[in-house]
Amino acid sequence: MLCVTTERLPLRRPRGGRWIGGVCRGLSAHLGLPIGVIRLVMVLLVPVGFTGPLLYVWFWVTVPAGDPVQAAMDQRPAALSRLAPRLRDPARKLPLTDIGVGLVLVIGASVLIAARNGADITSTWVLPALIMLAGTALAWSQLDAIQRDRVRSHTGGRTPVSVLRLAGGMVLVGLGIFLLVGRNIPLDDLLRSAIAALAVLIGAALVLAPWWLRLVRELGDERAARARESERADIAAHLHDGVLQTLALIRSRSDSAEDVARLARAQERELREWLYDDRRTPGTSVATDLRAVVAEVEDPRAVAVDVVVVGDAVPDAGTEALLQATREALVNAVTHGRAPYSLYLEVVEDQVEVFVRDHGDGFELSTVPTDRFGVRESIIGRVVRRGGTATVQSRPGRGTEVHLCLPRVSEGER
Amino acid sequence: MTNIDVVLVDDHLMFRAGVRASLDDSVNVLGEADDVDAAIVLVRSLQPPVVVLDVHLPGGMGGGGVEVITACTDLLGTVRFLALSVSDAAEDVVAVIRAGARGYVTKAISGADLSDAIRRVAGGDAVFSPRLAGFVLDAFGAAAGDIATGDDELDRLSAREREVMRLIARGYSYREVASELFISIKTVETHVSAVLRKLQLSSRHELTRWAAARRLL
Repeated sequence: MLCVTTERLPLRRPRGGRWIGGVCRGLSAHLGLPIGVIRLVMVLLVPVGFTGPLLYVWFWVTVPAGDPVQAAMDQRPAALSRLAPRLRDPARKLPLTDIGVGLVLVIGASVLIAARNGADITSTWVLPALIMLAGTALAWSQLDAIQRDRVRSHTGGRTPVSVLRLAGGMVLVGLGIFLLVGRNIPLDDLLRSAIAALAVLIGAALVLAPWWLRLVRELGDERAARARESERADIAAHLHDGVLQTLALIRSRSDSAEDVARLARAQERELREWLYDDRRTPGTSVATDLRAVVAEVEDPRAVAVDVVVVGDAVPDAGTEALLQATREALVNAVTHGRAPYSLYLEVVEDQVEVFVRDHGDGFELSTVPTDRFGVRESIIGRVVRRGGTATVQSRPGRGTEVHLCLPRVSEGER
Repeated sequence: MTNIDVVLVDDHLMFRAGVRASLDDSVNVLGEADDVDAAIVLVRSLQPPVVVLDVHLPGGMGGGGVEVITACTDLLGTVRFLALSVSDAAEDVVAVIRAGARGYVTKAISGADLSDAIRRVAGGDAVFSPRLAGFVLDAFGAAAGDIATGDDELDRLSAREREVMRLIARGYSYREVASELFISIKTVETHVSAVLRKLQLSSRHELTRWAAARRLL
């Protein structure tokens, strides 16, 4: 699991185990820190300008409720998630980018005030009106952009460009109004009324913000759900197609038991993978590569290998060699041994281990002639050249077990 | 040998028929259910010593086998659940075990092995498939540095428990594990039961993180 422990759970307020709003528990899951520490920090921050409670309320309002694990899962691309339904109810998810709009507006307002304090170039109403017009145009063009994005992509149509456009438009309109209204009013009065207006706006925004956030969230969820649904439908269609073809093949070859078993096994594996496993991106997982190796060995021989994998890593040259050796060991097991065949891969911090076991009669390694035994070069040699160890333990009546062990090269040494 | 009464819970009629036919004479199928609600009613009324329970079931609130076990938590002293699933997914397996199942086997299991597993569960032992042992090692950390020092420690495996888990994951039967480690089968069963208890009771937050990570990459 070395390559995934860096993965952070998204920030959510879980419903289970919360004291007040689930903020601390959510932070604890997100940061990977014990919950006690987070709660202590919150309490310690109370005397520091009442920061703790303020922070808490801020998170309470902005962080959506939900199960962090579930949320992490929902963020996976649909094509990589399994088709079969999960055991628990899915929680809702949300991207929180929209708060940025508010920040941009605040910055815009301060820029505006600074401009007003500088030079007075606005003695006529034409310039302000033009500025307002430009702002409105910019903001309204954004509406169109959202419509287009909605059709084109399923990410929700809220790109940085569209946000910028909306914010820019609003700043321009605000500036225009400010200059237009304030033409003949002394700077003092203007400032005072501007502050009052701003205060009213901020008050209204504060009251309405949660509703607005929720609206945005629900819209995004709905869109994402629809996109996932259609992607799932595609995958299901592909899957059913594959099963149909296999069934047709089985029917046409029903006289050969071996063919039927092989086809059934291959289809079973594929179906199981699609239905119950969350697939990994190719080239990032030794476990996935191992399963491919097993499939290569299983399919032509109509055998089934029990595969157990503990831990995972990003493949490198070493694991590549190890998997090649594993493949040879597996071929050896299914050709000379007897079922059931077991394969165990364990990845820990400093080494990768593989055990390949069969339940055949076993043999004495020393009695096998050096020249005709593929074990020596293709299995042991491969691993030893990479600085690993390989042992074959075979006892009459108790099967054969090949043990391969390869030290892992850390990132720095490579 | 006395007969063991079981209740079969699975939503596929064909599969239930297959299981019933493949079980040996010492196992007696008392009743069958095909969804969550029916299963809860049946288990509560019959209170069989063993329930063979599919992990993925329709009905109820969508919780599948986990929901059935959770609804029967008060019976766990007398009714024991053996999870049976076509899915090998870690989240499914760990969820039913943590809900209270005494074992987990895949549907590819032979009739004789399933009967054996039912007897084991009825006798109060835990049934670990190689897959489940692998999940345990994964969840509790396979590295040797992470070893429990006391028996009462729930968040880590002892050195012996880890050894037993690794052998089971490598495809060894309880008997083979016993002879490999020069201990009795009874001792192996004790270790496995201890691991099951840890898996059910451990509150270590890595467990949930781990389950999430399994889906993430």
